[in-house]
Amino acid sequence: MRWLIGILGLVLGLLAGTAIVLFNPLAAGSQQGPVQANLVPDKAFRMDDYRGMDPGLGSLLRGAGRSGEKALAAPALAKLRIGIVVLPAGNGRPAALAVKVSTLSEKNSLWRAQLGTLDYWNIFWPGEGSVFASGYSNYWPLLQDGFLDMLPGTDTVADPVVPLSAPPPAGELAGVNGAAGRYAGFIGEIRESLLMAASGEPGWQLSLKASPPPLGSQ
Amino acid sequence: MSRLFLSAFVAGLVLAGLAASFWPLPGHVRYRSLTTVLPDGGRQEDFIIRWPDDRIRRSSETGAELPADAVTGAAVLEDSAGQRVSAETFRVRDTEDNVIGVASRMAGTGGAISDANRAVSNWLVVIPGRGAIFLSQPDVLDTTSRQRDTLNGVITLSDMQNPSFWNNRKEQRITATTPRNAGRILRGTGEFAGLSGSFRETWKFDGLNPEGRPQGRILLSTLSERIE
Repeated sequence: MRWLIGILGLVLGLLAGTAIVLFNPLAAGSQQGPVQANLVPDKAFRMDDYRGMDPGLGSLLRGAGRSGEKALAAPALAKLRIGIVVLPAGNGRPAALAVKVSTLSEKNSLWRAQLGTLDYWNIFWPGEGSVFASGYSNYWPLLQDGFLDMLPGTDTVADPVVPLSAPPPAGELAGVNGAAGRYAGFIGEIRESLLMAASGEPGWQLSLKASPPPLGSQ
Repeated sequence: MSRLFLSAFVAGLVLAGLAASFWPLPGHVRYRSLTTVLPDGGRQEDFIIRWPDDRIRRSSETGAELPADAVTGAAVLEDSAGQRVSAETFRVRDTEDNVIGVASRMAGTGGAISDANRAVSNWLVVIPGRGAIFLSQPDVLDTTSRQRDTLNGVITLSDMQNPSFWNNRKEQRITATTPRNAGRILRGTGEFAGLSGSFRETWKFDGLNPEGRPQGRILLSTLSERIE
């Protein structure tokens, strides 16, 4: 009986401690808000054709999980993902070809609710030009959902769209911070969300706003 | 009993806290930066790509039974006006031949961005643990890849992968040569943040591999200085 009570206390303590870490109010509120105005076409896209690190939580926590690609077998590329993406036309914008590279952030911290990747985009519109954008995706909300799903009696309804973009760790840039062609000099913002799927790989959503810099800064 | 429960509960809390503090979150394997400080104060760093070996194949590609001028790890998007963009992905080495990161090369033609028979291209070089650097240049020729339908599906072709391209040359500078049109470092992040300067892209031909396909190196030579 004493053992049972001890184990019960330990398990409940572990659960309570994990909940405190996962829902730490001091680290909450780090997600960025939506991009303002309707200048931004939201592009939904698939990234099935990536190479490298699995986008799941396991790879962020343990560095495990990767697709088999000989070219990425080098030690320095173990925590990296690269993929070519076609961003479909829509909302008055033509289709674009893009390359997305994500690397595990070395500034991840469980106490600061940071478990994410540094993301780098190069997006090129035929005949128009290109932009370079970078950002930080924090997968912490997925860890919170996973914890809640494990608890008996909780019936969480997963949000179909999980915003991932968060303020970047110190020293990292976020936003549209380089451009060429017609967009030369443009600056702006970028946001990414995960579109949850009942089965198979999730989809992604990209929001991008880029505009000429203010006259005074040109 | 309640004291035992409380002690175990506190022990659980402490264990969870310790796990959060000391969980071994993964990091990157990093090689030291091989940069050269120039006499005028600039900083030179060269990135090398071995082609075709360093091309990163897409998951849908096998690479088997491709013609000599076909490439893997590339995609093409062309609109109805014939304006084309192509993307190629590579792994990147330092000058000691260590694989240190990945790079993408995107090239576009047509419209407002380039003259006829020329392309404009971007390089995105990402070195895990160090950051990313974004380069842009006008090319001396059309460097976009093209797609062709074959019985085995769509294949992507590149002029530089074509053996005839190397008949009369051993190397080809891609970056346009006029000072106004030099390759530019547009932006960097992480360790490359605040760098400004120029770069030059050169393709070197090393001969034919045992399958009769051309092979060589791409040299991305960056010259930069910190401005921020």
